Amino acid sequence: MSAVKGSNWTVKVREKAVGALPPDKLLPDGVPTYVSSWIYVFGVLSIAALVVIIGSGTILALKGPGWWHFTGIGRFFNSIHMWSVEIFFFVMVVHLWGKFWMAAWRGGRTRIWVTGAITFLVAVPCALTGYVSQQNFDAQWISTQAKDAMNAVGLGSFFNLTNFGQMYSWHIYLLPMAVVALVGVHVLLVRKHGVVPPFELPTDKSTAPATTGQATAREAAEIPPAEIKTSSTEGAQS
Amino acid sequence: MAAIFNLNHPAHTVHWHFFTMSVSNLIVIILMLVVFALAIAIPFPRHGGAEGGTSS
Amino acid sequence: MSRESRKLARKRENDYARDWKGPYRSYDLIKEATIAIGVVIGIVLVLTILFSSPDDKPSTVQQWSRATPVDFVTTAVSELDGSSGIATYGPPYNHNSDGQHISFIRPQKWFGVDHPIDTAQDYVITPLRQINGEPLTQAAVSVYEAAPAKLQTAWTDAYTKALANATPAAGGSALAIKPGNYGPVPVMMNALLRYAQGGGLDGALVNNKQFYQTDYTKPLLFMADGGVLSDRAQAQHLLGEQWGMMNETGSFPGQTWLWLYTFWYQIKPFTTSWADNADIAVMAVMGVLSLAFILVPVLPGIRDIPRKIPLYKLIWRDWYGSSPEPPKAGA
Repeated sequence: MSAVKGSNWTVKVREKAVGALPPDKLLPDGVPTYVSSWIYVFGVLSIAALVVIIGSGTILALKGPGWWHFTGIGRFFNSIHMWSVEIFFFVMVVHLWGKFWMAAWRGGRTRIWVTGAITFLVAVPCALTGYVSQQNFDAQWISTQAKDAMNAVGLGSFFNLTNFGQMYSWHIYLLPMAVVALVGVHVLLVRKHGVVPPFELPTDKSTAPATTGQATAREAAEIPPAEIKTSSTEGAQS
Repeated sequence: MAAIFNLNHPAHTVHWHFFTMSVSNLIVIILMLVVFALAIAIPFPRHGGAEGGTSS
Repeated sequence: MSRESRKLARKRENDYARDWKGPYRSYDLIKEATIAIGVVIGIVLVLTILFSSPDDKPSTVQQWSRATPVDFVTTAVSELDGSSGIATYGPPYNHNSDGQHISFIRPQKWFGVDHPIDTAQDYVITPLRQINGEPLTQAAVSVYEAAPAKLQTAWTDAYTKALANATPAAGGSALAIKPGNYGPVPVMMNALLRYAQGGGLDGALVNNKQFYQTDYTKPLLFMADGGVLSDRAQAQHLLGEQWGMMNETGSFPGQTWLWLYTFWYQIKPFTTSWADNADIAVMAVMGVLSLAFILVPVLPGIRDIPRKIPLYKLIWRDWYGSSPEPPKAGA
């Protein structure tokens, strides 16, 4: 078996995956000590909102698109779905604001920003297809208005907002799959690269970002890791 | 299943120059700004086993 | 700072941020995610119990024709004579216009007619031909179809003018207009009105090539050409000029994230010199801004804002306060 290991695709994929994301990096039990602000919870809140959207959407899909108009329990789950969408965009945008002001793309994390931005831009039409799938007046109005934007850029031939069957399919399957896939890649990239560290503060003018490549005072100090202050009694580290 | 507050009436709107927004949308946007400010301003608990930190 | 030194500074900044070798604290990822889901479920449950969700019933062609028969017939005549919004729309419904464009870029035209709608046939002639047991109606349609185009136009123009003063008659199932030379048009329109008020037109307008239907394009566009949807929309602050794109029916929050998208529709030149091509213009602007949003990390100036306006000092104040000499990070 070892003779053909080099050409085994499964082994190659496994080694690459485990190399990029070993178990303790995929599911860490430690986080850098600079992660100490409530702004950091908005990423996981976005995922939580997405879970509630998909859960409530699944229940709505179980009974079909007309159910929630005629039963109290159906309207209840429709309300859960609607409010979780509002919460999703709310927390996702606060998360985005936080990441912008942290310049969270630093240190090779450009793809994390890019996948996050694309997730937002895909979530918007995902919501739109939901709004036009409601089979009520709101759906009638939104579809007949928004069709002009689609038609003007030539998308109307492929993406007909007034075709309920098509829009429902995009809403309950195609676009949520895209959002989930993007969020998955986004989160795995965060696991791989870690949470972006704070900006390096210049200690004085002579240690301002190097213009000549000379070592800064901090680099010269060479503080060994063992002397670094930790706030964890367990000192857990991923 | 009736709601406690009935929102099924035309929205109140806020007008400012050419800018028009429903009160409910304005509340959402203001709330977002307030929550963002609070998230940065409110101190974060600093003990070793604390939940609440995240890697995002 | 020179360009070279800025580049070096950015490289140093990226090298510093690449790989953290400093201190960690304990953290429970699964517990945190579970708590987050619980928190969201809690908030959503509270909002659901307090406010529920909107569900304004849809309009139907039947309701439209009963509530405002003059508006219904006026719209139907415009579909018959090819002057309606959809009749003159262009692709993807027909070739009666080239559609919107920016300079020589005409995607609406280029992608062609994918959902053909012949408004005269689809909204008037074909439904009337489906009516059984009304020989006078069938005769009227035959007379209309056999007439030369100029005569058809003369009839529909005269009838449209007369509709301005039309009133419902026969219990609302017909329109009374002043006498004039309208040809078979009044008989056709009154028959269509009765058909609509009986509920038959709603079903007839849904794509009728097969038994199972999910495409509501035809009845929706017919209603959109009239006033039934826009009247309701105006009452609910959903019109474009009311920033309606962001709004929801009732007093519920809507799609607040569309604020920038609807913003352009409110200002010049989108409301003036670009009005005929406002949709493609706004989509182009939003396309560019969306691309810029995705590419923030590589856009000079934009990517420097967080460093220049140091909100990060507030975000990371705990860290800066506790570790004046952070370790040198880097691979």
